[in-house]
Amino acid sequence: MEGFMEGLLTAIEPINLFWIVLGGFLGTVVGMLPGLGPATAVAVLIPVTFGMDPTSAIILMAAIYYGAMYGGSRSSILLNTPGDGSAIAATFDGYPMAQKGQAGQAMAISAVASFIGGIIATFGFIFLAQPLANFALKFGPAEYFLLMLLTLSAIVSLSIGKMIKGFIAMCLGLLLSTVGIDPQTGIHRFTLDNPHLSEGIDFLIVIIGVYAIGEVFYNFLTINKEKKSQDKKSNMGKVWFSKEQWKRSKWPILRSAPLGFIVGVLPGAGGSIASMISYSTEKQISKKPDEFGKGAVEGLAAPESANNAASVGAMIPLLTMGIPGSGTTAVMLGALIMLGVRPGPMLFENDPGMIWGLINSMFIGNIVLVIINILLVGLLVKVLKTPAKVLYPLIIMLAFIGTYTLSYSTVDFYLLLIFGVIGLLMKVMDFPIAPLVLALIVGADMEQNFRMALVSSNGSVSIFFSSWISVVLLILTVLSLFYPLIMKLFLNKKSAN
Amino acid sequence: MKKRGFLLILGLVLLLSACGTTKNSSGGSAYPNKHIEIVAPASPGGGWDLTARSVQKILKDNELVQNNINVINKPGGGGEVGWNYLNTKDSHYLAVNSSLLLTNNLLGQSKLTHQDFTPLATLATEWQAIAVSVDSPYQNINELFEQIKKDPTSVKIGVGPGLGNDDHLSFVQATGMKDIQAKDLNFLVYDGGGGDVVTALLGKHVDAVTTSLSEVKEHHLAGKVKILAVSSDERLEELEDVPTLQEEGLDMVFPHWRGIMGPPNMTEEEIQYWDEKLSKMVESEEWKQLLENNDWDSFYQTSEETRLFMAEQEKLYKELIDQSGLVQ
Repeated sequence: MEGFMEGLLTAIEPINLFWIVLGGFLGTVVGMLPGLGPATAVAVLIPVTFGMDPTSAIILMAAIYYGAMYGGSRSSILLNTPGDGSAIAATFDGYPMAQKGQAGQAMAISAVASFIGGIIATFGFIFLAQPLANFALKFGPAEYFLLMLLTLSAIVSLSIGKMIKGFIAMCLGLLLSTVGIDPQTGIHRFTLDNPHLSEGIDFLIVIIGVYAIGEVFYNFLTINKEKKSQDKKSNMGKVWFSKEQWKRSKWPILRSAPLGFIVGVLPGAGGSIASMISYSTEKQISKKPDEFGKGAVEGLAAPESANNAASVGAMIPLLTMGIPGSGTTAVMLGALIMLGVRPGPMLFENDPGMIWGLINSMFIGNIVLVIINILLVGLLVKVLKTPAKVLYPLIIMLAFIGTYTLSYSTVDFYLLLIFGVIGLLMKVMDFPIAPLVLALIVGADMEQNFRMALVSSNGSVSIFFSSWISVVLLILTVLSLFYPLIMKLFLNKKSAN
Repeated sequence: MKKRGFLLILGLVLLLSACGTTKNSSGGSAYPNKHIEIVAPASPGGGWDLTARSVQKILKDNELVQNNINVINKPGGGGEVGWNYLNTKDSHYLAVNSSLLLTNNLLGQSKLTHQDFTPLATLATEWQAIAVSVDSPYQNINELFEQIKKDPTSVKIGVGPGLGNDDHLSFVQATGMKDIQAKDLNFLVYDGGGGDVVTALLGKHVDAVTTSLSEVKEHHLAGKVKILAVSSDERLEELEDVPTLQEEGLDMVFPHWRGIMGPPNMTEEEIQYWDEKLSKMVESEEWKQLLENNDWDSFYQTSEETRLFMAEQEKLYKELIDQSGLVQ
């Protein structure tokens, strides 16, 4: 408790408050822009953190990280173009809400959901950091493989009515994930002798390509018929959600926060997997699963709560074990080492002031961010009023800038355009896009974990049933695939009776 | 609002390009006569990037170099993309390097090698560590190696992010001295790199790990893992209880070095310029602080020494890679 108060005093020092607000705002902005994510923003700020007090530096970097979780869904809702992997789930219902003229409500509820998710996860951080870090250690290659398998089955089972198309999109994503040097053997796969491809295709390029560029291309097809849609879109609705919407979202938000938090603690899992699992869970236990994907408010609120909780969870392996669980925390680890702080088992004993300062800054930061984001709603809905002929060139420009910042290479521009065309074709042929992108995000790790699991069991598949975690994950996977089918049979029977 | 956003970006772009040109005024023909660009062949935040940015900062802060210094990130291909870029540039471009410069070539992943560049200095080194969990049945390196020799499949060894790197090859060298065939070793490759390997060890998913010292040092001090041996020539500060490989009867020292180099065909004066500047840089307090923060050791060698060192290292790596069976 003493540590907590001390940390609070650290966090409300004017300079640290300044970093919280700056980091949160910056995070929101980079989160909104396609391709610019928290990892890039933190990396760009590394030279700034040279010479900063380490506590202030980590407060700033963490604020950027969870700020981006708030911002990431803005462009998902308004433009159907997620800013990062963890904002993909927000397109499922956020964009349909905006099309129904509820963009304002959608953004308000997602800010509040992020807020609640962040606060619950911060409490989790205080009480559960050490036990959860130990729990995460139980995840070996077999468990990771099954977790990713569950994620993929959850995505595919979302595409009700077009499951075959969902499967095809997923397989395409898995194929793309095999590009690059195979870590187990060092063999170059599909790299076309281009050193740039030897590290694989960055999933962010694919996100920007299929979503942002694909969306723009798709809209080119109708740009001259836009009169009608313009009328519809100019109705942006209220900037605050209704009591009814809150009632529907309340429990999904509260359920998704701990789920996202725990998934976030697992190194390598992170916001994309957390938000996807929370979305599919909510859909399956919902009484109105048919409304999901058509603008169900809880379908937006749940993943938003989960991904922000995951960003808090990801700080746990970083700080307790010095193990970065995501791209952003990897960059943060580098920056902290430069400042002479070595996150790891000794940090909690040697430097508790820093940890408590960070925890308190997360409380304050989430309050600041919910305010910033709700204030921004009124401004952001105006994006919908922007004429397409102005908006789309801007999106294309931002997409190219975002792509360039990923690895400073023009090779990526060609990839961006190729995936733009793929995105367009998928939209025209009505293929779901999310399975492709998420399969690409988890594919390489999934393959490697599968092989490692088999290497460590000398080829016996029994390793996938050898721990209770594996068994639970397997059951969930089977359930997520067959639940819709079982429900249907069940309902048919009922109606037949 | 969008319009304002656009103007803001336009403004930023103009500002950035202005920064890029203003200080280009030292003039004359004496080297260096324009910006110095240091290529970090990796994304921001990684080890190469931090090395490049530290060199940049220390050279500027101590006013060792008057010209503007920029860091450019060219990630991809384990350094390949950045070094390819350097290869085509003039002598105002430098790049950070490591043993990957040699191994990429030996593994057939790159056409470039150290002879395609001008070595300027070796700067620092990390040491390798072989570690097990605290309650492991193997309490010293010889017990571990004996078990591997008896039944290679019974000992799972965590390594990352890929085979052919120093973590892997140092282990191949050490076991080779005990006549253990490298191809029998049961490696689990964690492509997330050092952090993942340590998580696997803590969770007992592997029996031993070979990684850089910094990945396991804190865990050793906290009593969570046991470092069996380090690859340095003498025992290290804070780790006085950990023997070196040499003490354990394995006659080898394995540095995981980092250095800096320029494009091919730099003139004598240019090389001399950097010898002078870099030898001063490694004497600075900031540099020593950097080494300490990263658990690196000073490993400074001049351009000439580095040239010989590279040739020597290339020979060693060639042997190790042949031994490892990675290249048929």
